[in-house]
Amino acid sequence: MHEMSIANELLGQLEAIAAENGLARIEQLTIRAGELRGIVPEALQIAWASVAEGTVAEGAELTLDIVAASARCEACGLTYQPTVDCYLCPQCNQARPELLSGNEILLTRVTGTEET
Amino acid sequence: MSKQINVVKNVLDANDALAASNRSRLSQAGVLGVNLTSAPGSGKTTLLEATLPALAERDIATAVIVGDLQTSRDAQRLEPYAAEVIQINTEGGCHLSASQVATALDALDLGRLGMVVIENVGNMVCPAGFDLGEHVRVAMLSTTEGDDKAAKYPTLFQPADVILLNKIDLIDILEFDRSRFLADLDQLNTAAARLELAAKHSTGLEAWVDWLLTARAKHTAAG
Repeated sequence: MHEMSIANELLGQLEAIAAENGLARIEQLTIRAGELRGIVPEALQIAWASVAEGTVAEGAELTLDIVAASARCEACGLTYQPTVDCYLCPQCNQARPELLSGNEILLTRVTGTEET
Repeated sequence: MSKQINVVKNVLDANDALAASNRSRLSQAGVLGVNLTSAPGSGKTTLLEATLPALAERDIATAVIVGDLQTSRDAQRLEPYAAEVIQINTEGGCHLSASQVATALDALDLGRLGMVVIENVGNMVCPAGFDLGEHVRVAMLSTTEGDDKAAKYPTLFQPADVILLNKIDLIDILEFDRSRFLADLDQLNTAAARLELAAKHSTGLEAWVDWLLTARAKHTAAG
């Protein structure tokens, strides 16, 4: 349930964003996560609802976009798309990826109501 | 009024920044940081009970930061062998974080150490996603867990710098299919070293200790 740690970090960032932008309430947030990160969407939703309770982001709707990974083969240099259960380079059959993306978790959009 | 803010913020920024700072503290002190990950019961603590005296013989003083949900039993087991032991109880947390390791490093006298081993919480999923500031990541499987686990838990084995197969003395009794395990690893990680051990009997210990010493020379100025 590492989703709980992610939700906690997320809340800290949202509280800072709310303060910087004068938001009284956060209504919606969008997360982009690499597929190799192994986030279980349902687990993240439950963790998020739980940590957001009683905060500026209580009840905020979380949209999670999972995006494909990209890697450069350290053996032959080819750029390819590894998946969570197969990192084999299609050109040289080695699994020596330098991951370019796929492990990231990014907060990309926040919608909120401004203080009056 | 509703306001939309477009940002690109790494959600794990705080953890990653602390991890980078941990790593640079270790490097500057000439201390190798090792993140040891496996399922509960694979033999992480037993491996360290065998490894720490062997490192001491090579004049490497090693501290252990050990994470568990509860109890200080692992710390008690390791105290006779380690230069220093710090137990972290995560009280439900399924992995260690860079901030917990940073606090532990504050309490260590890095100047008199050669290595810090972080024995992560026994878990094949959660520790994989959190950089603690280590130089090298160790993924261990024991034969008792079954030969299908690399395929089932790829995120543990993919980022590892070395993959250990422990309890190798039981491989025949358990009918653990080594070729199946290795074929699964070939799909995930052909860069990591692969070593077989029976930590309880110190079998395979020398190659493992040599690997650690080589890693220390590579990642720290102390060499």
